[in-house]
Amino acid sequence: MAILQLYNLKKYFATQKAVDDISLSVEEGQIFGLLGPNGAGKTTLIRMITGIFYPDEGQIIFDGKKFDPVNDVERIGYMPEERGLYKKMKIGEQTLYLAQLKGLSRNDAMTRIKEWFVKFEMESWWNKKVEDLSKGMSQKLQFVITVLHNPRLIILDEPFSGLDPVNSNLIKDEIFRMAKNGCTIIFSTHRMEQVEEICDHIALVNKGHKILDGTVRQIKQDFKENLFSVGTTEMPSLNGDAPFGIVHTNMHSHIVRIKEGRQPNDVLQYMLSNGAAIQSFNEILPSLNDIFIKLVEGTPTARQFQKL
Amino acid sequence: MHKIWLIIKREYLTRVRKRTFIISTLLFPLFYMLLIFGMGYIAKESAQNLKVAVIDSSGYFSSARIERLNSEDKSSVLTLVKDNPAAIIADHKAAGFDGYIVIPPMNWKTGNNSLVLKSNKTYGTAPTTVIAAKLNRAWDEVKNDSLQIDDAKQRILIGSHIGLRAVNIKDEKANVNTAEGIGYACGFLIYFILLIYGSQVMMGVMEEKTNRIAEVIVSSVKPFQMMLGKIIGIGMVALTQFFLWIAFVVIVYNAGKFSGGGGMANQLVGSMQTMFSSVNVPLILFCFGFYFLAGFFFYSSLYGAIGSAVNEDMREAQSLSFPITMLVIISIALMSAAIANPTGQLAVWASIIPFSSPIVMMARIPFGVPNTVPWWQLGLSMALLILGFIFTVWFAGKIYRTGILMYGKKPSYKEMIRWAFRKN
Repeated sequence: MAILQLYNLKKYFATQKAVDDISLSVEEGQIFGLLGPNGAGKTTLIRMITGIFYPDEGQIIFDGKKFDPVNDVERIGYMPEERGLYKKMKIGEQTLYLAQLKGLSRNDAMTRIKEWFVKFEMESWWNKKVEDLSKGMSQKLQFVITVLHNPRLIILDEPFSGLDPVNSNLIKDEIFRMAKNGCTIIFSTHRMEQVEEICDHIALVNKGHKILDGTVRQIKQDFKENLFSVGTTEMPSLNGDAPFGIVHTNMHSHIVRIKEGRQPNDVLQYMLSNGAAIQSFNEILPSLNDIFIKLVEGTPTARQFQKL
Repeated sequence: MHKIWLIIKREYLTRVRKRTFIISTLLFPLFYMLLIFGMGYIAKESAQNLKVAVIDSSGYFSSARIERLNSEDKSSVLTLVKDNPAAIIADHKAAGFDGYIVIPPMNWKTGNNSLVLKSNKTYGTAPTTVIAAKLNRAWDEVKNDSLQIDDAKQRILIGSHIGLRAVNIKDEKANVNTAEGIGYACGFLIYFILLIYGSQVMMGVMEEKTNRIAEVIVSSVKPFQMMLGKIIGIGMVALTQFFLWIAFVVIVYNAGKFSGGGGMANQLVGSMQTMFSSVNVPLILFCFGFYFLAGFFFYSSLYGAIGSAVNEDMREAQSLSFPITMLVIISIALMSAAIANPTGQLAVWASIIPFSSPIVMMARIPFGVPNTVPWWQLGLSMALLILGFIFTVWFAGKIYRTGILMYGKKPSYKEMIRWAFRKN
């Protein structure tokens, strides 16, 4: 079941069509990657989903009903890209305050904060101030604040920036655990290697439009270029009816492209019948990074101002 | 509603628990008193005393007469010079004088003798007045002696005169001096509160914006609730401070009354008693509370809107908030005019129009309701101020909602107004 459906969302600003007719559907329990270059409209899109902005046009359906910003925000957790906390306020108090603003009672909030602080080894932070924390520490705190009220939908904007590998893994594990427990996670980033590792499903936006939407697997299949890597010591010479062409040759392996209408088996057959000793044979799928660059390439790197 | 309450509580508690709140609450009355007493003291201490040579050719100013004058008033000293007046006229500084007066031959019957104090520096009116008074006292003696008016007759001449005092027959207790004093005190207190706490609202909003916590909070509550919570929270801090000061006054008053202590305390208690008996204290307190809160909402929401629109740069905030600060300062100028003539056109309108009414009306009320300020004026002023602050809070809320998440260039007033009137 889809927990979040967006229909033809539009949000125009004075000089920019920030989000221009985007439709999306996010399934429950999914880890959904929202990708796009800087200024693509990701943040505006997220702000509409979190009830900060009203869309100019279009509809948001949250959990089967029309999105009601006042009440539904209590079931959404949002960690913005620009982290922010009160610098001079004590960490315990601050966490309690922000949890209560999300609709938790004081007691519930207290119990959950304690659990999370133990889990993340933050017990000693209670009476410290945010200005005493390092960047990574405050990042961890921000994550705890985002998920404290057990939201059904968690939106994380670049959650790993500034974290060391140990803490990154800590948070990554939490993301997987929460997704397994039925939480839906929207993960906005432009770091592709993380997306490939974490996300089931991605959507790519650019210049306010959605230009790609699908599972990571499917997208890779869609963008594959029929390239295979063949490991062999000697490549037979190719004649006219060879089912493939060589794209690139390394020391002991060759990158080959299968011709239109031929199958990988044809390649193997050709090679075997020509007496080549095959050590390895595998498909080369494009990385999301390549796809991203391919799709976004050609558009100016910085988004231009438009006259509306 | 529950969330607004949480925000109010946070804004209130974080401020009240700060050391600066406690210190400023204690120090403000001290500073206020220091300001009042200190100015009198400084004026007295900085008075200029001159040594003036008197070159007399009229024969009326004997050295005995001048000595007596000098012993009565020691501030500026006159010295009668008989030997070599030409040297003093040539260079009075070398002779040790600040200036000199040449008295020509005069007749005691024809008045209006204009003398000149010559010096090579420019002196203010204060020392000149003192010297003129001294010379006139000597001149009075000359006249009294010549007319043969003895001490008894002199006492009659000086002591018997007609005084005039204005009394409001509908409100006999009303006292113009007390009313003026209370009017000034109330007006200035509101002025200070509007400026100090208004800028606190602005700084608070700026802090949330630059800390980037605004986005975290607006994903839980509406920006309007966030702004209103802040304004109410800080308003409560101001109110707390105000109640502490009232408590302070009550304690001083009672302590003074019961200890029966020194002259100073007695004087203070006495003057407070006459003050309380000549004005309607509950009405003034009620009106003060009203105008203070309503005025605070009116202005602080505007300050909040400015805070949301600017970035961390203090100069941007100052330049954008300048027109609003100007409104408060103009109100103070109007207040002085209103106290001088509390029933004049200017006073009436300035106390009805919302932007100046918190300060000007508060300065008029001590003169008496309903005689100086009719009920309709008070009612209209209050109603308009309520409408006024509902408008500014709404208006500011619209700006705030856009501004708090907007980074980059400082917006112009035109842009901010466009934010306010944009739908959504």
